[in-house]
Amino acid sequence: MKKPRRSMLFIPGSNAAMLSTAFVYRPDSIMFDLEDAVALCEKDSARLLVYHALQLPAYKEMETVVRINPLDTPYGLKDLEAAVRGGAQIIRLPKTDCVEDIQRLEREVERIEQECGRPQGSTRLMAAIESAAGVVNAVAIATASPRMDSIALAGFDYVVDMQTQRGDGSEIFYARCAVLHAARAAKIDAFDVVFSDVNDDEGFLKEVEVAKRLGFNGKSLINPRQIELLHKAYAPTEEEVHKAEQIVKAAKQAEREGLGVVSLNGKMIDPPVVHNAERILALAGLTFGHA
Amino acid sequence: MKITKEAMCGTLESNDLLVKVVPFGGLQVSIYSEVMRQFGARIREVVDETLKQMGVTQGKIVIEDKGALDCAIRARVEAAVLRGAECEDLDWRAL
Amino acid sequence: MNDDVNIETLNPREDKRGTAEVKRLLGANGLEAEADVQVFVVARDRKKIVGCAGLAEGVVKCVAIAKERRGSSLAVRLMDEVQRLALNRGQSHLFLYTQPKRAPLFAGCGFHRIVEVPDQVCLMENSPVGISEYCESLQAFRQEGQRIGCVVLNANPFTLGHLYLVRQALRECDWLHVFVVAEDASKIRYADRLDMVRAGLAGMDRVTVHSGSRYLISKATFPTYFIKEMREVETCSTAIDLLIFRRYIAPALGVTHRFIGTEPFCRVTRKYNEDMFKWLESASVEGEPIRVVEIPRLEVEGRAVSASEVRRLLTKGDFAAMAALVPPTTLSRLRALYAYRTQLKAGHRAA
Repeated sequence: MKKPRRSMLFIPGSNAAMLSTAFVYRPDSIMFDLEDAVALCEKDSARLLVYHALQLPAYKEMETVVRINPLDTPYGLKDLEAAVRGGAQIIRLPKTDCVEDIQRLEREVERIEQECGRPQGSTRLMAAIESAAGVVNAVAIATASPRMDSIALAGFDYVVDMQTQRGDGSEIFYARCAVLHAARAAKIDAFDVVFSDVNDDEGFLKEVEVAKRLGFNGKSLINPRQIELLHKAYAPTEEEVHKAEQIVKAAKQAEREGLGVVSLNGKMIDPPVVHNAERILALAGLTFGHA
Repeated sequence: MKITKEAMCGTLESNDLLVKVVPFGGLQVSIYSEVMRQFGARIREVVDETLKQMGVTQGKIVIEDKGALDCAIRARVEAAVLRGAECEDLDWRAL
Repeated sequence: MNDDVNIETLNPREDKRGTAEVKRLLGANGLEAEADVQVFVVARDRKKIVGCAGLAEGVVKCVAIAKERRGSSLAVRLMDEVQRLALNRGQSHLFLYTQPKRAPLFAGCGFHRIVEVPDQVCLMENSPVGISEYCESLQAFRQEGQRIGCVVLNANPFTLGHLYLVRQALRECDWLHVFVVAEDASKIRYADRLDMVRAGLAGMDRVTVHSGSRYLISKATFPTYFIKEMREVETCSTAIDLLIFRRYIAPALGVTHRFIGTEPFCRVTRKYNEDMFKWLESASVEGEPIRVVEIPRLEVEGRAVSASEVRRLLTKGDFAAMAALVPPTTLSRLRALYAYRTQLKAGHRAA
């Protein structure tokens, strides 16, 4: 059972202080940003900061993501070298518009893994959808490679491409749904947009509620304060946990008895339901700290 | 790697460091830190190691440390040297 | 976190509105905007300027942080950007003047104290090893002797008066260190002035000619910006320069005597000479006292030889009259540098 990723904390790759200490916030996933958070004149030094920070023992224990610059910029490929060689688990590719974007990324990652002796296939990919084209091609993108780990919606650039602006959420509704469906069809995770007003807890929680209800696995965060709020919102209720425990118990029982079908209280439980129950228990484990 | 122009990298914010490199005949490294007594030797060790890995044998390097971790020291020194050597590409095999 | 703050640059010659806002922020902090600031680095919180720092040529001035922003890392961010900007403009070595009580703020931003006039002004630089490395380089020129002298010349250009001063000083010391002011503010370029000094003193025993530095009579050590009262300005200007001499340069070379020519013409130089007695000889100032020896100016035809007179003759192209005031080495160099210009002028008049 893959560990649930609810929170993905963005850290500017150029900020030495944050890179040195961000692991204390314990997000499920930490994303070192070499793209929008880093000024052009600092791209070279941020890349090296991230390369070295990735090797800190504290980060080796966490899930690390690196957002590189697009490969058609002077920075993208160099960022990729640093990220893969540094040991990042996932590469986040911004402005993923089509399958070819992922395929090109995959080729480069494969080459670098080979050159630096990293286990082939160990670097996974996350596509960030930031445009109409990306939304329309979401399914193809999500299934473009066996390395695909997740797909994320990036709200700000997307609404610019759509010639509108961020508002009550209706402007990104279709995009959210498209990205989610692509993720589910491809059996990968989906991440919701960043909520940029760090002082508006109420607004943040409202948005989290929407994302959770739609089915997003987690959300990109830009402030450590949002981590706890998010984790609380994603915490399963006691009832949900209880029901999930029963389902998993029944599934284990069926396995022990070699039965092909799982049943609980006389009703048949489909595999997806079992998986869902496992997911809830994993979330519970994270939230309440027991296995 | 040869330092051909003055360059700097980093910031003086907490947990960071500022590295300045200047072309110079010999190799001269000056380290200044608020925690010189406790960490001065360690900083020097990391800096010397990094310079050696990059093949820097000439240059004046001045470091002002604000409590940076080793990873930041390495990164900032590498970036400053690359800027000073006017070199765009890092030889990953050397690191 | 200061994530909501943007650091930008502001050109005072182009952005009138921004400059006005900067002036207000400075005013609220008891400072004035200086005319020689080439660019301001400002911190904007949304639209409002909450911090500023000005960059003149190699000098940082006009630094102010809005009250509500103090104690955050805004000052560090601003000053980091100033250093980056300055480096991009070829100015890696920066000086900064501030009231002594503000020095700790800048100490946290990569600036290090050089000298301080108590309660008046503190001079800082953006290197922990700037002045110390300069002194180390000077130590290579130390000489044996009981009386080690020093003379600082602008030598604009090197005249018989300067030569006379050097000869007289040599009679009263075992070795003489001659420094040439490095600022390119005069009509004659520093490189040429230095050459003429070396040529004029060539072959002389017990003399070392040193190139000038920013630590000895430079635009950097003569601030004229942030103290409003002109009187105070002049006091502090000379004080900084002389304190550096006493605290750093003299000890590095072992200088015991400073020789100066009497100054009948220039008011600023005369004030400087007066201050020398105060800052170099007084026992109440930190550092070994240095004897100041005033040597009467050389006179030619009843008038003190002056470099400004030579420059006046230079403008007229009157090399013949110049010969009475400068050594042959200076004359030939000036001819080589400026003769064609006066010919051009003469040509124009004729045409």
